[in-house]
Amino acid sequence: MTIFYFTLKRSFANLANLIFLTAAPIACIFLPAGEGWPPLAYGYAYFGIVILFVAIRLAQIMMEDRVKGILKRLSVAPVRYFSYLGQHLLAYAVILILQSAVVVLGGWIAGQELHRPWALFALYVSFSFAALAMALAWISVFRSKDAAFLFYMSLIVLAALLGGIILPLEIFPDLLRRIAVILPTFWFAEGLKSIASAQPFADNVRINATLCLYALVFLVLGSTRRMQ
Amino acid sequence: MRVLSTVRFTLLRLMRNYIVLLLLLAVPIALLTVFSVILSGMVDEAGRPYFDQTALTMVLAFQLFGGSTVMSYLNEDLFARNRERMTVAPFNRTLYAFSILLAGSAFSFLLGAAIMAYTRLVLGLVWANWGWTLYLIALMAVLSSIVCVIFVCGVKSFSTAERLSEVYGVGFVLLAGLFFPMPQHAVFEFMGSYGNPLTLSVGAVRAVEIGNWNEAWFQANIVLAAIGFLFPVMLVMGRRRLR
Repeated sequence: MTIFYFTLKRSFANLANLIFLTAAPIACIFLPAGEGWPPLAYGYAYFGIVILFVAIRLAQIMMEDRVKGILKRLSVAPVRYFSYLGQHLLAYAVILILQSAVVVLGGWIAGQELHRPWALFALYVSFSFAALAMALAWISVFRSKDAAFLFYMSLIVLAALLGGIILPLEIFPDLLRRIAVILPTFWFAEGLKSIASAQPFADNVRINATLCLYALVFLVLGSTRRMQ
Repeated sequence: MRVLSTVRFTLLRLMRNYIVLLLLLAVPIALLTVFSVILSGMVDEAGRPYFDQTALTMVLAFQLFGGSTVMSYLNEDLFARNRERMTVAPFNRTLYAFSILLAGSAFSFLLGAAIMAYTRLVLGLVWANWGWTLYLIALMAVLSSIVCVIFVCGVKSFSTAERLSEVYGVGFVLLAGLFFPMPQHAVFEFMGSYGNPLTLSVGAVRAVEIGNWNEAWFQANIVLAAIGFLFPVMLVMGRRRLR
């Protein structure tokens, strides 16, 4: 688990990352609640966007390895690519799960109305997996670190808007509402809605399963490209 | 006057900077198109379309990030990659830095004007007063460039300066209350009204729409005063760093 340990260390290595990884979730806890929209307090909807940003920032560490040629050196070391990838992803997943735990637990302590904290935590975790897999697939097609991040950033904004995190889907025209279904952000917003309106348990399971399916698909897409 | 001959190349570099074009032109255009579809037909209590307000805010909000090009070019040419070459070049480096500032602001202004033209020609939005809006876009572009020069000259590490410029842009967008309502507190209320270049310039344009020129000039002049105050600060810091 050496790679796992060092990935964790590297993730927190520079100051900007450290602040981003710790301050952003804490800020999310204290955002106010809206009137009627969003279903939970603002911070709990925007935390989805934070997850997407955190995932791409973390996945960029692997991209750096590829661009700088560290992967080539690793390929002659007695480490299998599968274990390299697995331990990196595990480290990122641990960070994201911890962040989700902080947000949910912090909100519970601070007295935010969370309806069903466990369901919310499960939603964040499965969305984190999907976000991580998407980031992995995204960085596998880019060569320049900055370009990958900035392109992805613009996509995040668009996906958050079209998926219904920033504005309620109800005001969208019919066509956009149907297109939104293909975005993972739509399922995230849907999950928040179902938690707030106390839908049956099966509904939550369905949404989480959809997000995990996204994670699986993008993981397969992202892990096929190896060392180049 | 040898600096003048470099301006052409600075402009060419700016125009070929595809990432900036994507972030400051393609993204706002995509967002505005989506917003115009979503918000079409919706009006507020005064009977004005919601989209007017959104478009105005977005055109001006993206100006907050316009200074990033000035910052990265200054760093590349005078502090990092091309530093030695520029030091031996027979021209005044301070003046060269100033030409980058002007070109960057002009470019940012042009992008803002392009977005405005897009909303008019494609999305059919009627701007109440073209000239006045353009004036405020220009003010915002110059202000953001000056702030970014202060950051890059005042902070040792470039990545810190970059983060600071992001804080400047995102911070004022958040303080304007565009993403979620800010808490009821005197500080936040000031930063969401007269202490925020974004709300000031939006307010100035809105004031003209209802014909209140006094208020419009008042708000625009506060932004102008901020520029007037920060310009000497920038000169002092830039000269110290370039010496």
